[in-house]
Amino acid sequence: MLQIDAITKMYQGTPAVRDASFAVARGELVCLLGPSGCGKSTLLRIISGLTGSDSGSVRIEGVDMTATQANRRPTAMVFQSHALWSHMSVAQNVGFGLRVRGLPKAEIAAKTAAVLDLVGLAAFAKRLPAELSGGQAQRVALARCLVVEPKVLLMDEPFSALDAHLRKGLREELKALQGRLDLTTIFVTHDQEEAMELADRIVVMQGGRVEQVGPPGALYQNPSTLGVAQFIGAMNTCTTTLRQGAADWYGLDLRLPLPDGEVALLCRPEDLYLDAKGAAARVTRVIDLGPVTKVNLMTEAGDLITWTCPRDQAPDLGRLLTLLPRRLHAFRDGMLIGLAQSPLPAQTAGATA
Amino acid sequence: MLDITKPSGGLAPGQTQRTGHGFQALAGLALVALPVGLLVTLILWPTVRMVTATVLVDGTLSPERYFAFFNDAYTMANLRYTLEMGLVSALAALGISFGLALYLRFSAGRIATMIHGLSLFPLFVPSIIISYALVRFLGPNGLLQLMLEQVGFTQYRTPYLTPVGPFLAFVWENIPLPVLVLSAGLSQVSDHAVEAARDLGAKAPRILWEILLPQMRRSLLIAFALIFMGIIGAFTVPYMLGPPAPEMMSVFMQRTLGNLHDPASAQVQAVVLMVISSIVGGFYIATMVKSSAGAR
Repeated sequence: MLQIDAITKMYQGTPAVRDASFAVARGELVCLLGPSGCGKSTLLRIISGLTGSDSGSVRIEGVDMTATQANRRPTAMVFQSHALWSHMSVAQNVGFGLRVRGLPKAEIAAKTAAVLDLVGLAAFAKRLPAELSGGQAQRVALARCLVVEPKVLLMDEPFSALDAHLRKGLREELKALQGRLDLTTIFVTHDQEEAMELADRIVVMQGGRVEQVGPPGALYQNPSTLGVAQFIGAMNTCTTTLRQGAADWYGLDLRLPLPDGEVALLCRPEDLYLDAKGAAARVTRVIDLGPVTKVNLMTEAGDLITWTCPRDQAPDLGRLLTLLPRRLHAFRDGMLIGLAQSPLPAQTAGATA
Repeated sequence: MLDITKPSGGLAPGQTQRTGHGFQALAGLALVALPVGLLVTLILWPTVRMVTATVLVDGTLSPERYFAFFNDAYTMANLRYTLEMGLVSALAALGISFGLALYLRFSAGRIATMIHGLSLFPLFVPSIIISYALVRFLGPNGLLQLMLEQVGFTQYRTPYLTPVGPFLAFVWENIPLPVLVLSAGLSQVSDHAVEAARDLGAKAPRILWEILLPQMRRSLLIAFALIFMGIIGAFTVPYMLGPPAPEMMSVFMQRTLGNLHDPASAQVQAVVLMVISSIVGGFYIATMVKSSAGAR
């Protein structure tokens, strides 16, 4: 449906987007995820045509749209600031795209009413944007795009200005609506929880580059770069040196059948488990998060470890625990070089990698 | 334990505040006393005296002078000419300023900065200099005529001492202020508001007509009121560049007072012009108040 090929965009010699490529299937919701300034919004604007690219191509349904003006592309964009026109009523805002297309008044009224009903704002047609709440205004902005039946819906951090509760509700609504309309959607966010919740696939961007593309679960379980691993979910990072198949992991000699050299060993807080042969660390803080408990620990050497455990296993403050990793991701020069499943201390036999 | 619901000192609740309020109120009054005093003694009081004098003929109340004003064809021609000059010049200056403000809002770089500087330049040039420069440039045997003759065009007719002369000066002189007002207004329209319209298929004329102009309405009205009031009360430009007849009201007023030695008629002319300015001024204030209320 949408094909992005080798898009590059420079701003005064600084690359905002570098050689970005990915494809989006019909009806798919893809999130562009990355920290502020990673180029995700620029890439979205290039897809919409509001910003031109220096090289690369944008194809929609096989048609090259790279040189096509924004007002001629079959896309519609929802902005972070909703960008409603303050002098127009909700109905006029929503009907604008149809008026531009020269539809008869009766048809505009009917389509506007239908799409306002779809987003649950049928009773707000005559209101001005200033009379709406943040969530309602963003729904109107969505309706304004939906009414023109775009082939690709583009959303640039649409919920980031809203409070957490409202954001969660709108996410659910958007996901249901997008599924019902089978609408191809690209959603930009810096919130990984939002991306995980919404996306069929996530495109992780860092420093203008596409780092990894995949379903949320796959990115979480198998990050291919150190950047993705550290950006998606929490990780305990231990930078160490591998020598003859073993590495010092928080003071514990762990067997890791990987090539010698500097390595970053990453482990998710929920992938740690209590084991008498594990690395020792003292509990410095216990945070009850409701469903689980987050435990902060400090090793003898002063390294910080975060462990997530079931509530009933929550330790007391100051207690000395010994932990082992269930899964350990090893990165060298920012790239994944191995994934160790339940590695054991060097003295113990039976480690697997 | 500290009880934050009880006052901490020996004073009764609110006593300190009341004293503070009293002092603040006095200080506020003292600050406005001077400008208000000047306004009353130098403007309002002479205005009241002048208006009273125009309706008192030999000690009795009479609209006689106003009848004379509105029944005199030459006076009415001058008034019509003044209002037409104000309207046409203000609209032209506003149109040019709007174009400039639009360009400056959506452009960046050295050329835009240079144009911005140039558009504000007339703000720092006195009317007398503008008028004299235009006489030297557009007048008989002026620079423009000499240049045209160099390229073989000999049919040049100078706008000097025709209504076009003051019109050109008024337009040039009145570009900076609306550029500032309209630029401020345009800065309130977000880039995303314009991009959203473009994204939905709108081309530039529709964006201008349906998105920008409606949101600029107040800025345009404010700018128009300011220019119009300035023009109908201007003296130097029409005195230096305008035709001998009809005259703009300011020149006519000066001649009535200075040459014809008829202060009573000059006062009536002043009152009529003041009433027209007050109507436009009232309209300006109402727009400003609405803007402030909207902003709140």
